Amino acid sequence: MRLRTIVHALVTLFGLALVFAPVRPVAAQTPAAAQNKVLTPGQFPPYKAPKTADGKPDLNGIWQAFVTADIDVQDHDAQAGPHPDTMGAYGAWPGGQGIVEGGEIPYKPEALAQKKANADKRTVVNITSDPHRHDTGDPELKCYSPGVPRANYMPFPFQIIEGTDTILFSYEFARGVRTIYMNPNDSNIPKEAPADSWMGWSHGHFEGDTLVIDSTGFVPYTWFDRAGDYHSDALHVTERYTPVSPYHMMYEATIDDPKVFTRPWKVSFPLYRRIEKNIQLVDFNCTEFVLDLLYGQYSKRPTK
Amino acid sequence: MANHRALRPKVLHIAVASILFGPAFVAAQSSPASQDAVAKTTKKNSNAAASTKGWTMPRTPDGQPDLHGYWTSETFTTLERPAKYAGREFLSDAEAEAAQKAGLQRAYERTYDDPVEEPVYDSTTFGLTPALEGFAPNKRTSLIVDPPDGRLPPRTPEAMKRPKAIGDRDYIEPDGHGSGVVHADTPRDIGMRTTCVSMSGGPPILPGAYNNGLHIMQGENYVVLQAEYGLEVRMIPLDGRPHASANIHQWHGDGRGHWEGDTLIVETTNFRPEATFRNANPKALKITERFKRVAADQIEYRFTIDDPSTWTKPWTAIVPLHTIKGPFFEYACSESNMDVVNIMAGARAEEREAKTKGAPSSKE
Repeated sequence: MRLRTIVHALVTLFGLALVFAPVRPVAAQTPAAAQNKVLTPGQFPPYKAPKTADGKPDLNGIWQAFVTADIDVQDHDAQAGPHPDTMGAYGAWPGGQGIVEGGEIPYKPEALAQKKANADKRTVVNITSDPHRHDTGDPELKCYSPGVPRANYMPFPFQIIEGTDTILFSYEFARGVRTIYMNPNDSNIPKEAPADSWMGWSHGHFEGDTLVIDSTGFVPYTWFDRAGDYHSDALHVTERYTPVSPYHMMYEATIDDPKVFTRPWKVSFPLYRRIEKNIQLVDFNCTEFVLDLLYGQYSKRPTK
Repeated sequence: MANHRALRPKVLHIAVASILFGPAFVAAQSSPASQDAVAKTTKKNSNAAASTKGWTMPRTPDGQPDLHGYWTSETFTTLERPAKYAGREFLSDAEAEAAQKAGLQRAYERTYDDPVEEPVYDSTTFGLTPALEGFAPNKRTSLIVDPPDGRLPPRTPEAMKRPKAIGDRDYIEPDGHGSGVVHADTPRDIGMRTTCVSMSGGPPILPGAYNNGLHIMQGENYVVLQAEYGLEVRMIPLDGRPHASANIHQWHGDGRGHWEGDTLIVETTNFRPEATFRNANPKALKITERFKRVAADQIEYRFTIDDPSTWTKPWTAIVPLHTIKGPFFEYACSESNMDVVNIMAGARAEEREAKTKGAPSSKE
């Protein structure tokens, strides 16, 4: 009798759940319920990150984004890449949805014209022995450091190592590397960028489980994508890495550059943990692969 | 037109380095380029002998010996033992002090001795930082401690026949004066370092003319070894995993680490043929490094090179690592590489000049 009542109640509840399922926000579900069904994309039950031996949120591991933002941070169709006559589908670029909050980048009118000029000349490489070498050509094509946040959405993994008072980001693409200074009391570490750099000068701290990184001191030469989206030396990037499961982090970057944009704007996307048992970064030292692209014009003969 | 002829390879690398370190860095360093400074620094160095009295091994929260921080492999002791010290493993205190002083003096003179009209690199500003901060003189007469004569064991006949790996190529034909005929038909002729393909970064860790810093980080199941020169990192897993497959070749080899007592052991294999240490055999070479913190300001770093196809027996060297102040700065090498353009454009200009003068070109 009692059992039947319980079963009846459960059936009723189940029916109600079915009726209400399409309109109920997934976040309101209990973890137990969540385990039994496929989650709505982007929604996770509440999560606390594990801690390192010294009690900080543990973000160690090898991570990768699976967006096509490196091609264009905004919505874009698939397209033939350079030299489709020889590269065929190898060289074609996938379409994808953008990572920019609100869809549009708030360019100043003259800056938008520069972005378009960048895109038009993204494969024009002219390496001189002065800074004019940076006038045209996507830095990615030249195997230059991708900058921030682009390094995080290149189609390559990167590794986070949390040390005692620094966090290291080691990127597979072009051997990119960032050191995040985590100890604000270390008098040896300048607060302001001591010199401009491609990957920026970065201080970090935790807000709950979220790693917040503040980066400035950038050279004006990196782009955000192959579509020519760019910034000036006034770039200020604030990143937030929030673990939402053992295997996922939500990434968000606020991009502020009053010389180029009318207001700060945001990009966001998930980062996925690479869970292969033997996962490690395998060198992609592309400098070797671009020697002829960069310096061919100065060669006596083509390299064999 | 032939300016590049006067540039020694060393200076060319230096040109890149100087571009990368901005004016802020210059301002942050003192540059007392005088005999006084050498004397003062020598004194400081002599006083900076590693002290182990009352010292206990610092440990990370998970109990490993704490190696983290910034270190330098700077030393004035040569890899091989000079003939004049034959049969002697150590210098006397006075000899060590004199060697340190002479080394500092040489380093100072490096700037002003350059044949370049406008030296672009001030060694007293950039190259001497660790020395100015002070480190204990190395009393050893050679970095090599085994074989006991402090000399490299003989190369095998096989190794002597082996062509030079691309990484070891020198684009300037040596003429004994640091300059000579430039071979720069293609960027590949110029070698890996000048083209910024790889600035080495070990293993093993051996000091060069400048940028001898090492940043050690310890994370969960990983040790990170980051060279100041080129800022190339080695990520060493400590979780006992086997080496990557023999089909994977890494620019710094494939390193695996573990602790034996308080000593960190790193074993590295899977080297790239272009970047193998001293033209060793990339398939046979195994480098074993041992890091042991022996004082608040010193790590004893010891490496063993084992490649029976190249050397008749394994050999071992000790390079003391001394604490220095961080941080390191970005080394955007390829991004700022003016050398390759200048060397190659110079070589082409020279060829044109030779043609105009009707003189037969050296390479045709």
